[in-house]
Amino acid sequence: MDHKQQVGVQSHVEQMGSVADSSMLDLDDECLDSPGTEAGKTQIPISGQQLPFSDGFPVGGNKMIRNGFYGSIKTVVFSNKLNLLMPFGPLAILVHKLTASNGWVFFLSLLGITPLAERLGYATEQLAFFTGPTVGGLLNATFGNATEMIISIYALKSGMTRVVQLSLLGSILSNMLLVLGCAFFCGGLVHNRKEQVFNKATAVVNSGLLLMAVMGLLFPAVLHYTHTERQVGKSELALSRFSSCIMLVAYAAYLFFQLRSQNDLYSPIDEEGSHHGEGSDNDEDEAPEISKWESVIWLTILTAWISILSDYLVDTIQGASEAWDLSIAFISVILLPIIGNAAEHASAIMFAMKDKLDISLGVAIGSSTQISMFGIPFCVVIGWMMGREMDLNFQLFETATLFITVIVVAFFLQEGTSNYFKGLMLILCYLIVAASFFAHEDPTTTDQSKQPKT
Amino acid sequence: MNYKGQIGVTSLVEMGSLDGAMHDLVDECLYSSEMDAQKTQPILSNQRVLLSGLPVGGYKMTRNGVYKSIKTVVFSNKLNLLMPFGPLAIMVHKMSTSNSWVFFLSLLGITPLAERLGYATEQLAFYTGPTVGGLLNATFGNATELIISIYALKSGMTRVVQLSLLGSILSNMLLVLGCAFFCGGLVHYGKEQVFSKATAVVNSGLLLMAVMGLLFPAVLHYTHTERQVGKSELSLSRFSSCVMLLAYAAYLVFQLKSQNDNYVPVGEEGSHNGENDDDDEDEAPEISKWESIIWLAIMTAWISILSDYLVDTIEGASEAWDVPIAFISVILLPIIGNAAEHASAIMFAMKDKLDISLGVAIGSSTQISMFGIPFCVVIGWVMGKEMDLNFQLFETATLFITVIVVAFFLQEGTSNYFKGLMLILCYLIVSASFFVHEDPSAVGQSKIPKT
Repeated sequence: MDHKQQVGVQSHVEQMGSVADSSMLDLDDECLDSPGTEAGKTQIPISGQQLPFSDGFPVGGNKMIRNGFYGSIKTVVFSNKLNLLMPFGPLAILVHKLTASNGWVFFLSLLGITPLAERLGYATEQLAFFTGPTVGGLLNATFGNATEMIISIYALKSGMTRVVQLSLLGSILSNMLLVLGCAFFCGGLVHNRKEQVFNKATAVVNSGLLLMAVMGLLFPAVLHYTHTERQVGKSELALSRFSSCIMLVAYAAYLFFQLRSQNDLYSPIDEEGSHHGEGSDNDEDEAPEISKWESVIWLTILTAWISILSDYLVDTIQGASEAWDLSIAFISVILLPIIGNAAEHASAIMFAMKDKLDISLGVAIGSSTQISMFGIPFCVVIGWMMGREMDLNFQLFETATLFITVIVVAFFLQEGTSNYFKGLMLILCYLIVAASFFAHEDPTTTDQSKQPKT
Repeated sequence: MNYKGQIGVTSLVEMGSLDGAMHDLVDECLYSSEMDAQKTQPILSNQRVLLSGLPVGGYKMTRNGVYKSIKTVVFSNKLNLLMPFGPLAIMVHKMSTSNSWVFFLSLLGITPLAERLGYATEQLAFYTGPTVGGLLNATFGNATELIISIYALKSGMTRVVQLSLLGSILSNMLLVLGCAFFCGGLVHYGKEQVFSKATAVVNSGLLLMAVMGLLFPAVLHYTHTERQVGKSELSLSRFSSCVMLLAYAAYLVFQLKSQNDNYVPVGEEGSHNGENDDDDEDEAPEISKWESIIWLAIMTAWISILSDYLVDTIEGASEAWDVPIAFISVILLPIIGNAAEHASAIMFAMKDKLDISLGVAIGSSTQISMFGIPFCVVIGWVMGKEMDLNFQLFETATLFITVIVVAFFLQEGTSNYFKGLMLILCYLIVSASFFVHEDPSAVGQSKIPKT
């Protein structure tokens, strides 16, 4: 350790003498539930102490990037009210070890993931400050739905390909209808006098991509349903894998197109238009709240936590379905995305009420586009590598649902304006979709879910 | 009777020439003595009208005598030449067993009554102000179809209900709109007619939402993926119907509230109608408020009676003409029943008031799809009939593609004769498809042993 580091250590040790003890005590109070947590949290102070050694140089213009261990935890963990749900994660693990109640473990893991997903998004945004707009955009584009991807990969590992399809579909539907509808509705109610406008170009491009995704999903389903494939079972899989590669290429081209035309006609989503004139300045003056390495480390920690909880989530979904007498389809398509997406939901509504409708649209529709053009094909490719037979045949009912939903939403978006009535219509459409899935018995998951009751 | 009443009676008696009018009526109504009984009713009630009617400020000529009232309501429209066909249908039904003739005559008899019902509703709307007037139009605009549907529901013919409502939507969206665009485009050949894009887009959105509501029960049933066969679709349909009714109510609220803001109501839209706005506002109601209500009641009663005969004889007509019930319900019934709306839409388009045509055509479709159909499901629920939103795959697919085509045509906000021609040709394709379509569920209902 060189001199600077030693000084760093000493100053931190001096500063954090009381801090470490009191914050450790605070942590103990917070996490009375599981000894595992203490072990987990004791890891952090050690790595927190290492932080000042490795990144000592302030990046020009950004203030306060060197947080102490306590400062870092305070910023990341305690600053958001949603994080009150954090203890539910370890609680879920505890309940799983102590009882055999799958329903409770599922519910608690779901609640535990919600704040972690939000913090993951936060850490990604913070990291994006340091990487510049290009890589930052890529980061947001990839990690924006990391939670859904992690859950899907765990489900794929367990061989539950149907759950993967249904949960990704549910994510798309809830983003397009529920989140967007609530944003339009609340924004329209708050700004009652005028019609809110948003960037038609972006909306139209996104709608086009969604329609292309529907096309990619439609053909394997129709092929299977009309029993006209050349080799039963194999053709759809091969077609799905090929289509997935094409969709990934399309998504890459979309990112490329978006990033290049940032300087030309299209303005980036969160700096659009005169409405955001003041907002842009605020965004540019917004300093990152944690340093670059802190972001990376928190990103890793949160991803690890989400993975652990996803494991429990996927394992207990069948048990929860039996315990609550709900079909797996309903849980995967409706419940999982609503609760998992709660943070995005809240932020979209908040931006709409602040009349920054383009950001809301980016959150909602951008997320849908991302999952449909990147998430789903990526899972197919991952399944291909794992040797799982994940294909794009979502069965006729789900494909028809996606088709009509994309058409309705594309239609509503094409005008470029929004009001509370459009929002209300989208929400009511979501109610109809949710009711349909409630009444829907998925033939494939019925076989998977019929385990003998223990 | 008080002093005013006595004078009223005296003045009527002085109108001795009324007897001549009565003779005229009798000459017109050689067919049935029931007509005389019916027509004497209005005379009595109109006497009461004279006693109670006070002129509403600003409107002229609201106190009609009996003769004037009947003249205004009954004789002013050429379509009413078809009116005697109603009683004729009843007579034929009593005298012979020819179901197809009764069906045809009732259909012809209903047509003028439907038109007059719309007229009475408009007249009443003058007195109630724009808000309630809009609501009136929104509810009673398709009262004829609803009355026919409710009678069909009572007879347990839920498939006929579904098909006739679907046919109404299709004919309004394709045929009426297409004819309006076509004729308007031919008359105003030089330029493209424009209409309010905002209204058209909102209506298209509502139609798409209705398609969504209809799609799920059908796909659920067709993929055999419902949780409880038979029960799930019914519960889903009932839930979706409540949601759709809620959306329609929100639409009405939104439309009425934004009347003062950005959106201008359909009948007063745009610069084309600038001159005509004044005409509309100066248009006086032609009959008094109570007369409107009474005529409304009379028309509704007549339509109900004829609907009863219509629904009873549809199966017989289907056999006699060797045409499937689906075709009769989807194509024939709406075309003839909607003749008046059809004519008025074309007329307004030729006068370059395209927004009113659009309101008649697309507004009617929206009303039936978001109000009429869910309302029938709820009424069926109340009656204990199993009416659901599963219109079977063929019909649902037809509605889906039609809504998409029409929404696409409307999104530009302009019209010309070519677009109209395309819509009419689309309707021909739809009719041909239904001509060759054998409806599996209606087949079961129509096979009654020949008497």
